[in-house]
Amino acid sequence: MDERNITYMFYGLAVAWGLLAVYAVLLGLRERDLTKQLDTLKRMVEEKK
Amino acid sequence: MTTLRHAAAIAVKDLRSEFRTKESINSTLSFSVVILLLFAFAFDPTPDMIAEFGGGLLWIVFVFAGALIVNRAFARELPNDCIDVLVSSPASGASLFLGKAVAAFVLLFGIECICLPVFGILYNVTWWRSLSGMMGVLALGTWAMACVGVFISALTVNLRLREVMLPMLVYPVLIPAILPAMMLTNTLLTGQPLPSDFGVWLRLLVGFNIMFTTLSVYLAETILVR
Amino acid sequence: MRTKVILALGAVALPLLLRNLYAIMFLVPDEMEQGPIYRIFYYHLPAFFTAALCYLTALVSSILYLLKKDQKYDAIAVSATETGLAFAAVNLITGMIWGRISWGIWWAWDPRLTWALICWLVYFGYLMLRSAIDDPTERAKNSAVLSVFASASVAITWKAIEWWRTQHPGPVLSIRTGGVQKIDPIMENMIYVNTVALLFLAAIFILVRLRQEEVQREIDALRRYAHAMN
Repeated sequence: MDERNITYMFYGLAVAWGLLAVYAVLLGLRERDLTKQLDTLKRMVEEKK
Repeated sequence: MTTLRHAAAIAVKDLRSEFRTKESINSTLSFSVVILLLFAFAFDPTPDMIAEFGGGLLWIVFVFAGALIVNRAFARELPNDCIDVLVSSPASGASLFLGKAVAAFVLLFGIECICLPVFGILYNVTWWRSLSGMMGVLALGTWAMACVGVFISALTVNLRLREVMLPMLVYPVLIPAILPAMMLTNTLLTGQPLPSDFGVWLRLLVGFNIMFTTLSVYLAETILVR
Repeated sequence: MRTKVILALGAVALPLLLRNLYAIMFLVPDEMEQGPIYRIFYYHLPAFFTAALCYLTALVSSILYLLKKDQKYDAIAVSATETGLAFAAVNLITGMIWGRISWGIWWAWDPRLTWALICWLVYFGYLMLRSAIDDPTERAKNSAVLSVFASASVAITWKAIEWWRTQHPGPVLSIRTGGVQKIDPIMENMIYVNTVALLFLAAIFILVRLRQEEVQREIDALRRYAHAMN
């Protein structure tokens, strides 16, 4: 088996993990953004009361 | 029965208003001819090449034209809030959709019938060798475009990015109809005896039409009535 | 409660994923003709199963939304579609890398590949449509209808492929070949185990995404409330 075969296998596994990791990170970023928005809004509503 | 009568009334209304202003006929027709012209420059086609991708080329032009036509289907009703009046009229959502789809079909089919001779002249193709088959395939493919296109244009009519959104949503959904239409047109253009997979493609095209017509008539009520 | 479920799922999924990675790299035997490259397959096929299941979930919850008009189903539909797209991307790209070695090209206009790509584009269009509509009820209704429509198109394309020829390798799992053992049972089991692992991961993604939809709704409600107070 030539070297390229093994290299591409690693590329494949890296892509599989990488893509899912990227999606997880994106989810995390959105989570942070949403939490921040929610906190700001809650504080704003509290202040106005 | 009333559904069909209402649908016919709406189709006639759409066609009449279109023929009075001729805004989408004129623009779509000139647009299609320009694309046909551009393709001739881009590929400098020989007769062999045309036999290979003539059907594809023709359908790309039709699909572009189709996006312009179906975009107008509901957008035409936006000024003066005509769409709200139509929705609150006794016509059901299904008949409203059917009428619009039939009107779009007639317009598109007419434009295709003009494009076909232009295509024949510019690319030196004898396209009338099996005229009835050609018209049949054209009608089936055009109905698929009109049906899916008008349905999705009802979904996107209120969006700011309507013009971009519509083709982006319609084209991928249309692929299973356009692919057989291209294949069948290619075969019919060459004028050779029909190959064995002709039936498969025809079945696919007819199946697509039946499935999506049923589905959109059934779902039209949901999207149109707010 | 939701957080605990997510954490528990994560506690199962992460060790399983890592164990599978180890097993895929070192424990399973090499395929005779293809060499190491075939190991990509342990992600390629499970990712496809996961994506297909996500799309199916999205279809079912879109139909449920149209029947019941409950925002909950809309949230499930969007979460499942988005997760499905992530896994479908894994499926597509690992497939391309495999194709580069086995077929010598990155992309063949093979029906199955084309189908997967069309599928991806169709559901990406669904997300685009969602992002373009501001009103939540309108968005939920229109995207549910589009989801049903898109699924019909995807299904009919799938059928067309079975009629047409394909250069993509045919089914190898014994459930698809009618009990005929086409691959080593060790390999087949590895595929199932990794499918389970990816399904856990997908469940986590969907649950997190679902909670985000709920937070988003809460934010919208608070915005309206704050606006009304002015």
